[in-house]
Amino acid sequence: MLKFKFFSSFTEKASVREALGALLLISVAVAFNLIFGYFSAFFAVYLSFFEWDYIGPMKFTGLKNYEIMLNDLLRGIGGASYLITPFYTGLKNILIYTAIVVPIQTFLALALAALANQKIKGIQFFKVSYFLPATTCPVIISLIFIWLFMKKGFINYALSFVAPGFQPDWLNDKNYVLLAMAIVAIWGTSGHFFVSFLAALQAIPREIYEAAMLDGAGPIRRFFYVTIPMLKPMITYVVVMGLIGALQMFDLAWVMAGSGGGPGGSGYTIAMDIYNEAFTRLRPGVAAAKSLFLFAIIFTTTYIYQKKYGGGVR
Amino acid sequence: MSSGITKTVAILLILVVVFGLLTAYFALNPRVVEVEKPVEKPVEKVFIRFAGWSAGETEMKNYEKMISKFEQKYPTIDVKYEVITQMFHENILASYGAGVAPDIFYVDTSWAPTFIEKGALYPVSDIASQEFINQFYDFLLEPFKGKDGKLYGLPKDWSMLALFWNKKLFAQAGLEGPPDTWDQLLEYAQIIADKTGKPGLAIYLGGFNRYVPVALSYGAPKPWFEKPGDEAWFDRPEVKETLLWYINLYREGKIAREKAGKTPYVVQPADVGAGWLGDAFGKQEVAMVISGNWMIPFLADQFPDFKFGEDWDIAPVPKGPKGRATMAYTVALGINAKTEHPEEAWKFVEFILGKDGQYELVVKMGHTLPSIKGLEESPDMWPQHKKTLGFKYDQVLVFLWGPKSGELEGKISDVMAAAMRGELELDEVIPTIKEAVREVLGG
Repeated sequence: MLKFKFFSSFTEKASVREALGALLLISVAVAFNLIFGYFSAFFAVYLSFFEWDYIGPMKFTGLKNYEIMLNDLLRGIGGASYLITPFYTGLKNILIYTAIVVPIQTFLALALAALANQKIKGIQFFKVSYFLPATTCPVIISLIFIWLFMKKGFINYALSFVAPGFQPDWLNDKNYVLLAMAIVAIWGTSGHFFVSFLAALQAIPREIYEAAMLDGAGPIRRFFYVTIPMLKPMITYVVVMGLIGALQMFDLAWVMAGSGGGPGGSGYTIAMDIYNEAFTRLRPGVAAAKSLFLFAIIFTTTYIYQKKYGGGVR
Repeated sequence: MSSGITKTVAILLILVVVFGLLTAYFALNPRVVEVEKPVEKPVEKVFIRFAGWSAGETEMKNYEKMISKFEQKYPTIDVKYEVITQMFHENILASYGAGVAPDIFYVDTSWAPTFIEKGALYPVSDIASQEFINQFYDFLLEPFKGKDGKLYGLPKDWSMLALFWNKKLFAQAGLEGPPDTWDQLLEYAQIIADKTGKPGLAIYLGGFNRYVPVALSYGAPKPWFEKPGDEAWFDRPEVKETLLWYINLYREGKIAREKAGKTPYVVQPADVGAGWLGDAFGKQEVAMVISGNWMIPFLADQFPDFKFGEDWDIAPVPKGPKGRATMAYTVALGINAKTEHPEEAWKFVEFILGKDGQYELVVKMGHTLPSIKGLEESPDMWPQHKKTLGFKYDQVLVFLWGPKSGELEGKISDVMAAAMRGELELDEVIPTIKEAVREVLGG
């Protein structure tokens, strides 16, 4: 009994010490997260009810900042020019961009991962090649692609063999700017998600495939009835992360279309408008209100998606 | 109880022993008991931060040289030079928000009203002598005056627009000299395109400040947008006429010409594979550009074989029926209103902006024009710059459209650019600009 009591107090002491050690180790990360993550997020909510110029004191304005944002949206829906409805333009563009980027990048990443999971000679080289774009800075990628997308650039040169006569001015034609940005984004992010899919593919137990084979399932059936359901949690993760990334896109648009969004404002995004609101129009309160709107879109979309498709085989 | 007494006694004994040992040590060691000489307290150095953007490595090095000279002259002041290469004013504003704004920083005319109105700048006229202020050109001081009449910054240099023309392309086209009027500018651009196969003129898409000299030379008053209703400036017939003329330079000179299968006579720099007007002109891809003095050192540095006087020359901005006008651009050094060291910051500003400072940083470098009178007579002044100072203008307008200059310039230019690209019909241009301006002023 005495022995047992001693042992129990020892484990208690050890667990307290362990907990303290753990807390100490994670404290830096937690502190950073609290300051730069949660504090900023809550400060943005607070700021959205104020008028501020960075220098003087803040002035409470109630819902005025939200009113400014909604007016922009309503005017845009009413058909006003993109030149006076930047928020609506940014929202419209980013939704189109997301609708193009997320499905294609997910599908491409999955297809690449399925290929890389085969036992082919030299597959390591392909794995590295697919992943390489994910390790490169988006701004550098954008700059390289600006050069490739020029009217007389490499992409149009290649197109002249594939589709003679089709020579779009990618970056100066309002019908192609967003598409050009989407192509760059798909190229840049598929490699990143490819790695996630590959890891998930390799974690699927071989026994399930063997059982399916014994039941007479061919490779296509195995892919659709074993691989896809087993990958469902990873697909959900990839789609959610893709949605978050695409809806917040800033860097590609800033470099490829310029701060004004390029021709016809077709490369303008919500994140760019938030930046311009904060630092060009000097209305950080309105910028915060717009950020919360963007947060609401991201939260709702990802929540609905997870609710609907998130419950996969684990 | 007894153990408590024992503990107390033990502690006392230890204290006594330690005290005894220390006493013995000090008694036996005479060096320690010597009366120490009073140590001179080191003079406390004041540390100030100076932020600017960079016009290149040479400028940065020259600033560093001047800073070390300043630190030699004032050994109690240390200056930290911070170069912000992108989004300068946005960075400065954010640093105000975070409470870490530099003590001294560049202030562009278009941002000056914002900083002055928000009380971010220290009134330098409270600290500077009138004699020092009198050295500066009056018209360059105007943008930095507050509503209280005080000066919140002093210009470090300035530039003005002029016409840069390629002598070789002009000769090839059979033209003897630069255009003198806006109509001639257009005519010459067409002749050059037809005869040399190179566009005659390069302009920016948008660029409201580049258009304003046209409006002024056709009799329009200076544009000033302070309150809703001021956008009526765009309803003036001379503004409507000249603005549409300017927009059509590109619509007809580039878009329509290319559709007709001819060489465009007006382009934007990107159309000829150039980054900006100076680049397009230096590469000799266009025959004329209207740009500022900042282009001069760029041409000398990047295109040393393209020589001033032999290959290219400068002429005044073309005139209209109501005279000749140009734009002036200046940047001030402002002192942070919240600085803990206004005196030291002022000493630095005075040192950089004074005759010696401007001689080193502006005249000898040949970057722009000095903002204090008299320096233009210096033998080290570049002849290209000297020539621009000799042009006669009826109006020299400093780039400032009102308290929200920067935002207004951006908004108006965006609409102009859309119209130039053909995304807006001509009859939509004025109403859209007015709505954009009204929104900025009403907001």
